[in-house]
Parts: sequence; structure tokens; C-alpha cells
Amino acid sequence: MAPPARLSNSIFGIFRATSFRPALLRKCRLYHSYEYSQPPPFSATASAILASAITHVPSYGFTSTALKLGAGDAGYLDVSTNLLPRGVFDLVNYHLIMQRLALKDNVQFPSASEQGTAKKLGIGAKVRTLTLARLRANEPIIHRWQEALAIMAQPSYVPTSLAELARLADEIWFLAGDTSVDTSWYTKRASLSAIYSATEIFMTQDTSKDFTETEQFLDARLEDVTRIGGFLGALGEWVDYTGHSAVNVLRSKGVRI
Amino acid sequence: MNIQTSKLLLRHQLLEGAKRRISREPYRCFSCSIRHAQHQSQPPKSPQDTPGTTHFGFEKVAEALKEQRVGAVFSSVASSYDTMNDLMSLGIHRLWKDHFVRNLNPGRNPLTSLSASERGWNILDIAGGTGDIAFRMLDHASTINNDAHTRVTVADINPDMLAEGKKRALATPYARSPRLKFVEANAEKLDMIPDSSVDLYTVAFGIRNFTHKDAAIREAYRVLKPGGVFACLEFSKVNNSVFDALYKRWSFGAIPLIGQLVAGDRDSYQYLVESIERFPSQTEFRDMIQEAGFLVPGQGWEDLTGGIAAVHKGVKPI
Repeated sequence: MAPPARLSNSIFGIFRATSFRPALLRKCRLYHSYEYSQPPPFSATASAILASAITHVPSYGFTSTALKLGAGDAGYLDVSTNLLPRGVFDLVNYHLIMQRLALKDNVQFPSASEQGTAKKLGIGAKVRTLTLARLRANEPIIHRWQEALAIMAQPSYVPTSLAELARLADEIWFLAGDTSVDTSWYTKRASLSAIYSATEIFMTQDTSKDFTETEQFLDARLEDVTRIGGFLGALGEWVDYTGHSAVNVLRSKGVRI
Repeated sequence: MNIQTSKLLLRHQLLEGAKRRISREPYRCFSCSIRHAQHQSQPPKSPQDTPGTTHFGFEKVAEALKEQRVGAVFSSVASSYDTMNDLMSLGIHRLWKDHFVRNLNPGRNPLTSLSASERGWNILDIAGGTGDIAFRMLDHASTINNDAHTRVTVADINPDMLAEGKKRALATPYARSPRLKFVEANAEKLDMIPDSSVDLYTVAFGIRNFTHKDAAIREAYRVLKPGGVFACLEFSKVNNSVFDALYKRWSFGAIPLIGQLVAGDRDSYQYLVESIERFPSQTEFRDMIQEAGFLVPGQGWEDLTGGIAAVHKGVKPI
């Protein structure tokens, strides 16, 4: 009597465990869902301090001074900046995350029905628009952005920074409507990450009016990728054709392949 | 009759003491303290299973007694405190304390702060008798943040440790300035400190010895200003099991021996390592801080040297 009871108990336990799991996962979802909204990335207190601190970045840069002034504006004390375990990097990270999340509201593409009237916008053009929009979001603090890049390059922060770059590339491709499920999913995100970071560094040195040179730089890099992509495609075709012909020539000479 | 009862009581106490001594070890030496560590490395888990008693190292004593006995331990180690810390931690305790203070970044830079009304921080250093943390705080505020107004109140329950700190303060520029104050106080009842008056409450290697840790954290919450920070540097649990085995060997084998050789006081250092073993783990202590009402930054703590020590912080919400 006892063993079956225990068995049913343990089975019940398993069911219970599975039914509890979604409740636990609801807080942190690894996939994108239209049904649920993601929890806010920062706690209310931390975002209050960071949101006021970011307004001091143009004059004080990504420094602990900006953080302290932000804490003061939010009604906290200087010492309250200890709430941010990574200090200034949390400020940089806040900028990155908030600008990434703002992207979907900042850029609106006409829906499919409206597209018929206007010129149809390809995925490539959408990626370009989104990337430019994200770069333009750096405009107010571009003179301080090298500081942020230096902080992000500190060894202990590199993994988080790269992860954030990957998330940005993913966000851009997702918003552009890319639905690829093959290996190009990876190559697209990798190449966009490389282009974005290169253009961002170029932008810190750009003195042209309204960042026209940055725009040209971005276009040139995107063109490079299509050209390299085209070259790799042509190379593949050539290898395929030559390989087949070689095999066929050998077969015609009586080699058993 | 009074004399008779007191005699009886005395005899009873002596008997009890003798019993306890017999039930512990017949003699103590290096090898048996290791054996002792191995036997007791899994101490009884519930710290307060009977009301009115608390733990003193691995021993269980009446709550009223713990304060006295901790007092006795620190009175006996006060003079050799620094030498002993250096020997036991191989000098690493200085790095931990430096890191602790540098990360808190005390002091208000007059050049960058916009409002001139608030000048300097009001820091309360609990259990900081010898002034280790206090002098570092003041040095950091003066030299890094150019702040000549930040003041530290050093509170300790033990007058011997305070005397040691006052003696050391004479070698610093803060000896007779209003920036440094010594107060004899119990961290569970800080009646001389008004509500919401402190920017930063620090306790470095002290909270382990408190009889009621939760009461001390609640008292910290009371004295802190809204937005103020509770920061605690304390021994904690080592994460890596291999490193933990080595560390246990060192702490239970070598530290009481060093105590015996250098300070001539084995029992105090035996208490020290046992109290480290009994201190709650990182997550438990983080939960204690949260229960008192504090917001914790990130995961709530930062491990130092693989978890031998940990810095816990909490921010009082507005």
C-alpha cells in the first residue's frame, strides 16, 4: 500500500513542480513574447536615481559625480549611489538598455496595407533606418561616449557589454521583420554587431554637420556586407559548379565515383 | 543565610564549570583543535532553539552572558589586535578594509556638489573601537574628495578597544578635531544617536559578535537618514569546496595556535574562529537586511577572496 501511495505522491509532486515553474519563469523570460510584457529592467529606486543621473551626463560625463548629482535630484543622498553595485558602469548600462527598449517606439514603419501605396521598404532599408535611429540616440552624449566605451572595455564589464551589443543587434533585426531560421540568423547578427560598433566609434570622431559622414560610413559598411555576401555566394556557386564538373569529367574517364 | 545561598550557588557554578570543562576536551593542543574542528564543522543548525540562550562560538550560553564573554575576549586581545589580524589573515584584512572604504567613496566633494547646505557625511562606525575603518574613511574623504567636513563617530561596546583607538588616533591628524568622536555604546541600543541622522552606518568584523543581530540591524535602520546606507564587512562562507577545506584547516588549526604563541591567549582566538563558523551565510544575512526594510543593491553582497569575507549593503528607502 505504501509504495503506490509514495509513487502517486511523487508523481503529484512532479506535476506540482511543473505547474509552479511558469510562475517562477514569468519574472525572467528568455524569449520574446507578445502576450506578456517584460518586467522593468531596473528597480524603481535604481531607475529614479539613474534617470536623473543621465541628465547630468552631457556636462559631467559618465562619472560618479553625475551619479551623485542624479541621486540628489531624485531626493536621495550621495551615499545612496551605493545602491548601484557596479557604480558608473550601471549608468552606462542604463543608457544602453533604455535606448534599446526605446527603439521600437522611436521608429515606426508603415504597416503592410499602407506599404502598397508607398515604395515598399526592404528589410535591408529597415535595418539601416533602425541602426541610424539608434546611433542618433547617442547624439546628446556623443562627446562623452568615449568615456563610456572605455568603461565598457574594462575586463570585468566586457561580457555584459558584448551581451548588450548582441541584444541590440537582435532587436534591430527583429524590428526589421527578419524571420530567418537558418545559420544566417547568426551571421546577420554578428555582422550587424560589427558594423554598429565600428560606426559608433566613427561617430565619436565625426565633426560633420548633422553627422552626415557617419551616415555615409554606415552605408559604406552595409554595402561592404552585401558585397562580401554576394562574393561569398558567387564563390560558393563557382566551387559547386567546378566540383561537379570535375567529378563528371572523372566519371566520363571511367573512374567509379 | 544569604552567605549560605551564595556559597551554594558558587559551588554549583564551579561544579557546572568543571563538568563543562570535562565534557569539552581533557587538554588542548594543535592536533586536537583540528579534530575538534572536524567534529564540529557541522554545528547544530538552529542558532536560537531554546529561548534565552545564544551561541558563543560553538558553546551555548545565556543571552545575558554573551555580551560579557565577548567583552572579555576583546579586552584580552585589544593590545595585540593589529599584529594578530596581520598574522591570521596574512595581511589581507588591510586590503579588504581598503576596498570596503574605497567602494563606499565617503565624502562630499565641494567642487562638484551643487547644494552647499549639506557639508560632508555623518558616518557611524559601529564596533570600530581601534579606528581601522574610521581613519580610512576620514583619509579617503580628505584626500580623494577634498572634503574637510565628513565626520565619523566610532562606537564600541568595549572600553579597552576604544582606548586602543584613542591611542592610535593621536598619530593621525584627526585626534583633537571635531571630525572624530569615540562613544561607548551597545549597537542594539544607540540611544545617544537621534533618528534619521546618519548617512552611512558601517560595521566591519563586528556584527558577528552581537547577541541580537536583527535588533542591531533594526537600530541601524532607525538611525539612518532616508537614502542612507548600511554597510557591513564580515567573514562569510567560502564558495569553493576545495578552498573551503583548506581555509577550515587554516582557521581551526593555525589561528588558535598563532593566538597562543603571539597573544598568549588561545581561547579568545578559538572563539573567533568558532564565531566565524556560526555566522549566517551570504544569502541568509542578505535576507536579514531585507527583512529590516533595506533595499539591497544587485544580489545584495560582494564576496572578497572567494567568500572568506563579504561586503553586505542595504539602502534605507525614502
